[in-house]
Amino acid sequence: MTALERRYRRLLLAYPRQYRVAHGDELLDVLLDSATPGQSSPVLREAWGLLRGGVRTRITHQARGSAWADGLHLGITAVSAANLAALLPYTGSLPPWTLLSALALLAVMRGWVWPALALTFATGVKAVAIAGGWPLLDLTLLPVYPSALSDRPLFETSSPVVVAASYGVALSGLAVLIWRRHRPRVRSWWWFAAAVVASWAGPSWLPDKTWFPISLSKMAVEVAALGLAVAGAYLARDPRWALAAGIYLLVTSGDLGLHADDLTRQHLAYWGVLIVLTLATAFAPYRQRRHCLD
Amino acid sequence: MYFVLTALRGGPLHGHAISKSIKELSSGRVQPSVGTLYGILERLNERGVIAVDREETVNGRNRRYFRITDEGQALVEAEARRMQEAASLVLRPTTFAPLGSRPTA
Repeated sequence: MTALERRYRRLLLAYPRQYRVAHGDELLDVLLDSATPGQSSPVLREAWGLLRGGVRTRITHQARGSAWADGLHLGITAVSAANLAALLPYTGSLPPWTLLSALALLAVMRGWVWPALALTFATGVKAVAIAGGWPLLDLTLLPVYPSALSDRPLFETSSPVVVAASYGVALSGLAVLIWRRHRPRVRSWWWFAAAVVASWAGPSWLPDKTWFPISLSKMAVEVAALGLAVAGAYLARDPRWALAAGIYLLVTSGDLGLHADDLTRQHLAYWGVLIVLTLATAFAPYRQRRHCLD
Repeated sequence: MYFVLTALRGGPLHGHAISKSIKELSSGRVQPSVGTLYGILERLNERGVIAVDREETVNGRNRRYFRITDEGQALVEAEARRMQEAASLVLRPTTFAPLGSRPTA
C-alpha cells in the first residue's frame, strides 16, 4: 500500500462504515487513477471533497426509515443524555442511581426499548423523590452534595414537577415505540461523551448571584447538537430532526419556565438560541429547490 | 448534475470516465472532486435519474458503470431547453423599442 493510498483511506473514514465497505474501494480507485505520478499526499481539493462528501453521506444515511419514529427515538436519546448529565456530578453520593441512569441511556441508544423503559422509570422515580425531598426506594441524605463537576446540590434549582416531566417525556416516547412495535436504530457512542461534557458546571458565564445557572459546556453541547440537526434537516429535507429538537426544547423549557421571574438577558438569549435552532430544523426541510434535482 | 447527466447521454460510464468527460465537456471549467462527484451520483441514483448499468472488478476493486434512465434523459433535455430559452432572451437580436419611445393609443 502506497503512502497516498494510506492517506486517502484515512480520509475515507469520514464516510459511514456501511458505505465504505460497499464503495470505499471504488472511490479509492478513482482517486488513485486521478493522481499524478509520484504523488504522495492527497490534493487539498480532493481531501476537502472527501470530508464534505463523508459528512453529507453520514447525515443522509440517518434519514432512512420512519421519520416520526426515528425522530421520537432521537429526542428520547437527547432527553436521556440530559437526565444522565444532571446526575453525573453526584456519582460519588448516588453511585447506583447514576449507574442505572447510564444503563438507561445505553438501553435507549442500543434500541432496547423494554429495558430502557424499566431503567428510565426506576431512575425517574428516584430523581423525582430527591427533587421533592421524599424518602423513596433507598435512604438518601439530602441535599445531595456536589463534586468537582458542579457547585450546587442536586436539583437545588429545579422542582419535582419539572424532573417528573423530563422523565415522563422519555417514558411516554418509549411507550409509544413499544406500542407501535418499532425497533429503533442504534445510536452513536458520542451521546455518552455529550452527557459527560454537559454535566460539567463551568466555565461560568452568568452573574454569580443568579439563582438558575446554565453551564457554558452544556450550552455548547446543545448548540452543537442542534446545529447538526439543522444541517441534517437541510441536507436530507427530512422532518425527523425537528421532532427530536422539539422534544428536547420542550423538556429544557420546563426549567427555564419555572424560573421565568428570575431570568436574566443571558438566560433569554440562551432560550432564544435553542428556539431559533429548533425552528430552523422545522423549516429547513421545506427550503426552496434551486433546480429540479436539488 | 447537469454535466453528469450530459456525460452519461453517450452511454454507461464509471466514476473516473465521468469525471474526465465532465472536464472535457466544460473545457476544464468544471472539475468536481471525487467526493463531490460520488455524492451527486448517489443522489441521482436514489432519485432514479441514473441507474447502475453493471459492475466490474478491476485491480481487485469494484467499479460501477452508471447509465442515464429515461427519466434522467427527459430531465436533462428539459433543463437544456430552459437554459436555451433563458439564453435566447439575452443573445437574440432585440426587437423591443425603448420604453419612452413606445407609441400610445
